Amino acid sequence: MAKRVVIVGGGAAGMQTALELKSRGIEPVIVERDIELGGKARGWHKLFPSFTPAGDIMRPLADRIRAERIRCFYGQEVTAISSDGVMLRSGERMPADAVVIATGFTLFDAHRKQEYGYGLYDNVITSVDLERMMNSGKVLLADGSEPRRIAILHCVGSRDEKVCQKHCSKVCCITGVKQAIELKEMFPTADVFNFYMDIRMFGPGYEELYREAQQRYNVHFVRGRISEAAETINKRIQIKAEDTLTGRPLKMTVDMLVLLVGMSANYENEALASTAGLSLAPNGYFKANDSFLGVVRSEREGIFFAGAATAPKSLADTLAEAALTASMVDEYLKNRYNEK
Amino acid sequence: MTFFAPFTIPFIVGGLFMFAVVALKWSLWIVRLPRVDRRLIRHNFFTRETLIAVWEVVRESLLHVRIFRVNPLLGFMHMSLAFGWFLLIVVGWIETTAYLGWQWVPLQGHVFFKYFMPINGIVGDIHLFEHLMDALLLMVLTGVALAWYKRVRSKAMGMRRTTKHVLFDRVALSALWFIFPARLVAESLTAAVHGGGGFLTGSIGHWLQTLLGADVLHSLYEPAWWFYSTALGVFFVAMPFSRYMHIFTEIPLIFLRRWKLHPTAERKSYDRFEVEACSRCGICIDPCQLQADLGMNDTQSVYFLRDRRYNMLSLKVANNCLMCGRCEQQCPVGINLATLRLNSRAKRRNIPHEGRFKYLRGVDHSSGSGRVGYFAGCMTSLTPAVQRSMQHIFSVAGEDVWYADRDGGVCCGRPLMLSGETDAARKMVAYNTDLFRRHEIDVLVTSCPICLKVFRESYRLDGIEVLHHSEYIDRLIASGRIKVQTETRTFAYHDPCELGRGCGIYDEPRRVIGAVGRLLEPRHTRRDALCCGASLANTVIDDGQQQRIAQRMTDELVATNCDTIVTACPLCNKAISRAAGQPTEDIAEIVAKNIIV
Repeated sequence: MAKRVVIVGGGAAGMQTALELKSRGIEPVIVERDIELGGKARGWHKLFPSFTPAGDIMRPLADRIRAERIRCFYGQEVTAISSDGVMLRSGERMPADAVVIATGFTLFDAHRKQEYGYGLYDNVITSVDLERMMNSGKVLLADGSEPRRIAILHCVGSRDEKVCQKHCSKVCCITGVKQAIELKEMFPTADVFNFYMDIRMFGPGYEELYREAQQRYNVHFVRGRISEAAETINKRIQIKAEDTLTGRPLKMTVDMLVLLVGMSANYENEALASTAGLSLAPNGYFKANDSFLGVVRSEREGIFFAGAATAPKSLADTLAEAALTASMVDEYLKNRYNEK
Repeated sequence: MTFFAPFTIPFIVGGLFMFAVVALKWSLWIVRLPRVDRRLIRHNFFTRETLIAVWEVVRESLLHVRIFRVNPLLGFMHMSLAFGWFLLIVVGWIETTAYLGWQWVPLQGHVFFKYFMPINGIVGDIHLFEHLMDALLLMVLTGVALAWYKRVRSKAMGMRRTTKHVLFDRVALSALWFIFPARLVAESLTAAVHGGGGFLTGSIGHWLQTLLGADVLHSLYEPAWWFYSTALGVFFVAMPFSRYMHIFTEIPLIFLRRWKLHPTAERKSYDRFEVEACSRCGICIDPCQLQADLGMNDTQSVYFLRDRRYNMLSLKVANNCLMCGRCEQQCPVGINLATLRLNSRAKRRNIPHEGRFKYLRGVDHSSGSGRVGYFAGCMTSLTPAVQRSMQHIFSVAGEDVWYADRDGGVCCGRPLMLSGETDAARKMVAYNTDLFRRHEIDVLVTSCPICLKVFRESYRLDGIEVLHHSEYIDRLIASGRIKVQTETRTFAYHDPCELGRGCGIYDEPRRVIGAVGRLLEPRHTRRDALCCGASLANTVIDDGQQQRIAQRMTDELVATNCDTIVTACPLCNKAISRAAGQPTEDIAEIVAKNIIV
């Protein structure tokens, strides 16, 4: 009989792990909290650095899950995890031979940085809101007009001790570059400013894209975090920042302010980790067994990780890691049941 | 009778030394007072204040009424020592006079009267004075016993922690502990040898008589008096350099304070009186959150004053204080701890470069016009929901408002003051004062208690009433200018330090919350309210430590099971929001949400 593996979370990591396990003759079961698969990447417009539509990656994954007849439970929340199964909110127990934690991350709530006025000012949006707008085909101000001056603020909820988010969310820098280019393509005459602390272009093609944004698209990059935003009478946003390269304070009025929100650890991680006997990293993410060979292994036999449950990751990294998770699970099951 | 014996030499020498040093200290401090302070003394000397001060000396230096209020057992300990000793001296003098009539008796004659006149004090058949003196000795001994007990088990005396002392304190303390037991032994032995004695020394003397032979008693007799006199002498020598200097310093301090002298942003001679009036009782240690939450044991007011007194104050200790005022509020001597801490931070040469303030010239970002001015403050700019709510409330109330800093303003100066940059702060004060005056406002409303405190204390805004927005909103509701609907939510209110202990505003915010919903109180509230830890005054602790303080105080708010935490300071708001993981609302927000348009 095929061994059964419960995968907690049906985002990119969960789906990819499930497909890889299935191809190895193992029976995966996905438990998803939402009513459909896809996780955070669902509803995303285009992916960096190639501007591939997110749907081109995510839709085939979901289609293959259906085609492979992989069992998925929707609207079900896992409340406890052990190596031999999970407990659902409904009180039902789901036995398994191994468990994969693919619970991902939580978007940083931009309301928590009240000084940027998200939720208070009409034309302050998050990077996620911008993707949705792009998906709907139009990026407009609250009054329906086109933005002529846009500021994109990096590190909102990342590398910010004041909101207990000390880590770098990794993907926002390149997202900011990508979105700036998209905005420039949409509004070629608009001015687009990126306010950053450091620009971290670690992936293949990222640095090239950053250069292209400056040279070909004339996107402005200002090194300095915005300290506060205020709404003017005509609903524009006045921002105050310091240009730390020239060492001068600057004040600027823009039509739209985009906050590049970071990735936070899920609030539920703490409770889940305690039921599973796992520990968390100081930033609240699950702690991997080690940083090299055990990145998808947990401190407990039979419990594995895939994707952003252990740290902020790009979609590409997540998909690659999920394949590794499946391989590690396969190896674990083989060793365990051949011994008996 | 000459009233002299060799054993009295330590007492006489110690006593003379002590009086000389104390007199020298007092005169130096007085002479060095700035002219303004000396004028105040001259001006207020022949007024009722002097009489009130006399009464206060009795209440505080002898009876220790304020310590009684904080901690009755501790109060009793201090009272039995101070008042008991005082009465021993007074009654001892009466005893001498009653026995010898009006004649000059040297000091040691009074103190060691029992040695010189073993049988005395008999009025009729009763040993009246002997019983009385024994009762007083017993009273002091009770205090000494409690002091011993406090050293061993401070918790039993209602103090979780007591002070760690310097060498002079330890010497003086040990001598003090021995003085009265030594007196008991010496007087009891005298009673054993010569007879007489009251209910205490007489009885012990009688018991010693039955226990020891006559020659043993005689051989112990002189050494016992030597020991008593030496204990006194050692105490007197150590006293002016130890914490016991407070005994003599508190008395002039009470007078000076009644004559309206007070510490200022600049250090001055008057500070000496306050610094040395600290008895290092350690009552300030327990309320300190740096102690309770972070386990810091070297920065509380008692250690700060100790370090400053002995010229070993480090900038770190001076800066490591939240200035929440929780200790000052409990200090039995009423020392101005915050001001002393502040003027210790003041850098001697903090005159900033003029070029730094070029930007102030001709700047006016204000907008609107009206008799009411609104100064949001820098921190409120980081919590724009507060500012928006105030604008909404102003417009519903139909108030014409002049906005001082809606498009950017100049800092009130308080953060600079807190970091000792008094001269730079003065520039801000001058700029803002001029701005307020130029726009001819009658009322100045601010949303930030930090600004409020500095406007009230360091600005000269005669003719302009400065209000915190909670006071302003409270007036609007009371006068019917705005109406609010009541909602079902429950609100736990956090008293910001600068608003509560800083400006004494406790009731207005509570009335406003009460008008909108049900008010809940955390365990520590009003004058005892905890600090949120985010205080601008502390430049030593790091972000993680601030967070630990915030967490402890927020836990108390969460424990009320309230629906929403409400505060009235943008800085507290940020600290609590972070610790609670849920949004905290300002008083202005809950009012703006429920205001009936």
